[in-house]
Amino acid sequence: MELKTVGIPRGMLYYRYETLWKTFFEKLGAEIRVSDSTTHRIAERGMSLTIDEACLSIKVYFGHVNELIGKCDYIFIPRICNFGRNRDMCPRFHAMYDVARNMFRNSGQKFLTCNIDVLGGEGELKAFLSLGQSLGCSVKSTLGAYKAAKKEEQRVWKKKVQKQKRLLEKDVLKILIAGHDYLIEDSFIGKPITDFLKKSGVLPISAGIVDRDTALKRSVDMSPTCKWQLNREIIGGIGMYKNKIDGIIFLSAFPCGPDAMVNELMLRRIDGLPMLNLILDGQNGTAGTETRLESFLDIIRFKRGLL
Amino acid sequence: MNELKKPKKKVAFPRYANYNAPIRYLLENGLGVRCILPPRLTHRTLEIGAKYSPDFVCTPFKILLGNMIEALEEGADTLVMVYGICKLGYYGELQEQILRDLGYDFDFVNLSEYDTGKVKDLFKATKYVNPQVKFRKVLKTLLEAVKMTDYIDEVTSEYYQNCGFETKKGAYKKAYQTFISNMYSANSKDEIERAYKKVRQAFSQIPISKPSQPLRVGVVGEFYTAMDQFSNFDVELKLAEMGVEIHRWMNVSNMFLHYPGEKNLNVRVKEFTTYQMGPTSTANIRSAKEYAERGFDGVIHVKSANCTPEIDVMPVLQNISADYKMPILYLTYDAQTSDVGLMTRLEAFYDMIYMRKKVVK
Repeated sequence: MELKTVGIPRGMLYYRYETLWKTFFEKLGAEIRVSDSTTHRIAERGMSLTIDEACLSIKVYFGHVNELIGKCDYIFIPRICNFGRNRDMCPRFHAMYDVARNMFRNSGQKFLTCNIDVLGGEGELKAFLSLGQSLGCSVKSTLGAYKAAKKEEQRVWKKKVQKQKRLLEKDVLKILIAGHDYLIEDSFIGKPITDFLKKSGVLPISAGIVDRDTALKRSVDMSPTCKWQLNREIIGGIGMYKNKIDGIIFLSAFPCGPDAMVNELMLRRIDGLPMLNLILDGQNGTAGTETRLESFLDIIRFKRGLL
Repeated sequence: MNELKKPKKKVAFPRYANYNAPIRYLLENGLGVRCILPPRLTHRTLEIGAKYSPDFVCTPFKILLGNMIEALEEGADTLVMVYGICKLGYYGELQEQILRDLGYDFDFVNLSEYDTGKVKDLFKATKYVNPQVKFRKVLKTLLEAVKMTDYIDEVTSEYYQNCGFETKKGAYKKAYQTFISNMYSANSKDEIERAYKKVRQAFSQIPISKPSQPLRVGVVGEFYTAMDQFSNFDVELKLAEMGVEIHRWMNVSNMFLHYPGEKNLNVRVKEFTTYQMGPTSTANIRSAKEYAERGFDGVIHVKSANCTPEIDVMPVLQNISADYKMPILYLTYDAQTSDVGLMTRLEAFYDMIYMRKKVVK
């Protein structure tokens, strides 16, 4: 088989599916090219390409897509609609592939996609089989690659959750960060915040790193009609971790629709914990955020009698 | 006897274009409850709604919340909220929480809670509103209410297509408003049919002078703002009155009653999108493309601030605009309360398409 380069933009679901995607494409013999960590330049480029009103995360994402244009045979952008009833994705993930196609249609770049819409009869396995087909691989090798990738994904995820559990047992100040992984782990958006917390002697815990099935069940107690898979995992995580932490930071990107609503509800429903609603809009300079974080930490320390 | 003991519930659904008429019809005649019609949307609605809503939720949330508060002030004791694929599916729970935190006391029917994929479960909601409800009666009234919705959309569509060309100013508006108020007071199938026939007759008798090739503008956009005259400052009427034929495919009956199905709609826009990008995306893209193919002079894209699916439609519309050389005006409505800025933009858009038509022709 002819070796193909598949480009993966480092943004949005990359943080969720890094292992799955990389292993899958590697097993099929494709060369993978992931865009570099977000820099100011990449973010800036994304902002100028995207419609003004779109959320910061998607702007950064298209900045990454732009980085890969012309540098690989395919750029991989999946379309994910839902994982079943009441397990929807934000409409942004329904549209991402088509938006990219329209945005970069004059570049001649080819895009690779797969469709996950469980309610519409398109599950993950079917999606990956179609991916293999688009790359010209046999069903057998695709299936093998998918199974291996899935196994690897589960292994890595379990390890991550285990590590989180150990962190939770530590006797230091712990702040739960309720936000999407593509925000928290992004070097331009969320990293400065977790870095600042660590520097201040506080342990940041990500609410989304959690046993996902349990979190989904738990989320129903927190908010019965919440239908967004990613938000359900996060609020389920809040429910599971809230007795082991000292405060919550709700981290969202301006103007993320689901977060705006879910976080508002959580702020109204959770009692007895210091909470900070931090909305990031990709401005330069972290001084403003740092001031807010400092005073938030002061409140927590004061509460615990450490100040 | 039971009815005497227990007073009827006073149910309210926030204002949504003219669709409160069929909703009222269904509630009063089908479910046998009292329908409290919330006050018309005003700046006050938007102001109190925006005051208590999270900052960057989409604007319809704020308007609906404000109107719910007004409905409670009017004496409603039960509020109904629908659900949808986008943020709409979460409106109910958050609105209820905000209203409860404000101290209001009411019953809340959040249809999102009944959304299990089975119609049977939705019917449970009607049982909650009125335990004595008869399934057959609800079904019968529902069909009549659907017919009413269909009529309202049909008449509204004709109204905006022609009202800019009437020779006697205000004739169309008068007939249209009489029809709408008849819909609000109708209590039987006959009354609906009669009012519909009356408005058809009235429309046909209004003298119009339309050029053989009038300026034609299509309106596409978000499911609430594109249809609700208050939310969009009646952008259609404003433009129509400048002498433009306004076409809008997007309405409730086209989306639910005459919808050709996602796959069959998508096939006509294959070159632009592979998948359904959001609840109304394919429909809007298809409409815009069709308007372009029919040689319309322009399209207006109407949406509220922070409407995710419609933001994603915009890059596609930009491409349609480029391919067919058809201007598109993008309008975003937030919690502003003045239409002066809108008027300026509309006038400029009108001047542009008017001059363009002269040159192109």
